[in-house]
Amino acid sequence: MSGRNLPKRSQARGHPARGRHRARGPVLRRIRPQRVLDLLRRVSEVLETVVDPEVAAWSVLVAYTAGEGLGFNRAFLLLAEEDQIRGWFGVGPRSRDEARELWTDLRQRGILPLDRLTEPDLEAVEAERRRHAATLAALSHDAVKGCGSWQRAFIARSHHPNSCVRHWAAVLDTRELAVVPLMAGDRPWGVVIADNFVTHAPIYYATLEAAETLAHYLRAALERTQLLLRFQEEKRRRMLAEHATALLDTARTLAHDLKNPLALAGGLAHEMMTAPPSDREGFTRQLGIVTAAVTRAEQRVAELVAGLASRADGISLGPVEVGALAERVTNAFRPLATGRQVRLLCYHPGRPLMAAAAIPSLERCLENLLSNALEALGESGGEIQVAVREDSGWVRLMVADNGLPLPAPMRVDPFAGGITTRRGGSGLGLASVRTLAEAMGGRVEYDEVDPGWVRFTLFLRRWS
Amino acid sequence: MTASRLLFVDDEEGFLELYRAAFSRDGYAVETTATIEGARERLAQGGIDLVILDIRLGEVSGLALLREIKAKDSSLPVVLSTAYARYQDDFSSWLADAYVVKSSELGELRQAVRRCLGGSL
Repeated sequence: MSGRNLPKRSQARGHPARGRHRARGPVLRRIRPQRVLDLLRRVSEVLETVVDPEVAAWSVLVAYTAGEGLGFNRAFLLLAEEDQIRGWFGVGPRSRDEARELWTDLRQRGILPLDRLTEPDLEAVEAERRRHAATLAALSHDAVKGCGSWQRAFIARSHHPNSCVRHWAAVLDTRELAVVPLMAGDRPWGVVIADNFVTHAPIYYATLEAAETLAHYLRAALERTQLLLRFQEEKRRRMLAEHATALLDTARTLAHDLKNPLALAGGLAHEMMTAPPSDREGFTRQLGIVTAAVTRAEQRVAELVAGLASRADGISLGPVEVGALAERVTNAFRPLATGRQVRLLCYHPGRPLMAAAAIPSLERCLENLLSNALEALGESGGEIQVAVREDSGWVRLMVADNGLPLPAPMRVDPFAGGITTRRGGSGLGLASVRTLAEAMGGRVEYDEVDPGWVRFTLFLRRWS
Repeated sequence: MTASRLLFVDDEEGFLELYRAAFSRDGYAVETTATIEGARERLAQGGIDLVILDIRLGEVSGLALLREIKAKDSSLPVVLSTAYARYQDDFSSWLADAYVVKSSELGELRQAVRRCLGGSL
């Protein structure tokens, strides 16, 4: 998403410095420093919580283009990759007609793009990337000597001496282009370029300085998020490898545990067909062995299927009385809850409800969910309800609180991990719950079905 | 001609029943035991021409018995019969004269027995 308030024509035309300085460089006028500081603080806070590189780029470029931001008409991020400076993300209208349509729409709907930063619409971010794909591809340029290696931001025009700058200006068909280089040591890391191709508004020094600062924020956020992505990918690959090994081992065990009874049943049945026992007693005995072997194979299949997920994660499942465990863990949290004016309730049926679980893993799940609920309630108090219920083949362990709702980015997938909010701490707690739940052959779900309540439900297989 | 005497060692009574039925019908003299101790006692008495040994005898490994047998009489043939194909990688199993993975089809085991006995019953 991009956009800005339509500029007042008098602002662009009436500025006394515009005519004199347009041909030589940025206009020597400062925008209000407090507004810039507020913008930088706001963007900085947003970037702290961003875990996706594209969202980071979108956030900063929206700050470039928003009317209440730096007010550029459009902005693009280009990244240095080996021998090329490649267009990576863009925000803003693609044409003058599109600009008028977009800005009018934003103004009529009273939308301030900066307000969207705290809750980015991932689909809109993706749409913005796709919308600018052709322009970004066209902006890509060989990293010829000197391209991207500038020390400071500057305003460029179509006759700029560097060929890649001339290329960008030509692709964007623009008169003035703010070029904000980002260096990694003595090598170019990337470039942010922005212009006012619709309004032709002058670019102020202070704006350029703020643009430079924002670009540095963006670089830090991109490096952090890309590192996080690499870490997550590495972790995913490692887990896949571990799972593959565990599954192979399980498959071998399965083959053995099934092969014995099946070989026995099949072999004896074949023998009985080939040479049926002459006496009824012998026939009955051999048939009994075949039946017992088949039954044993069936039991092994059931056991192995139930334990498959747990073996893959190295967790040994056994019967766990969920109600007693819930009571014990809840009681451990009671002093903390009391100190925070939080009412902590635990409901479970009087009779034992046995689930296939690992006690340490289940305890960790419940501890994480309770910590998450306490964080959501903050210091203002509230109520947390823990409940254990039976649901056909499952045992449900629910933790509900009437604290803060989940932030929008987390609602898409609260268990994805990495999103830092007041609810969820590092963002890894809920991800850990899902990993552990799945390792125990179960799952975890989230809902806000009851107004004012956030509920997480852990589904565990009943032990039979 | 006296029939060759086979000793089957397997902790699963069902397999022993199967072996008794199948190999007796083939003309062998079949003896069975479910434990290593039983096997030791019977081997000590002599007269066994071939041992068919399961590797996993409850909590005990049949490979230990294989080593004992070969240490006392390296000429006594031993066929390992097990569901564990991976034991073929165990050096101890290489002492055996044949290695057969358990199957409902006894053809492979029959062939191994015949081969170890030099084609005789």
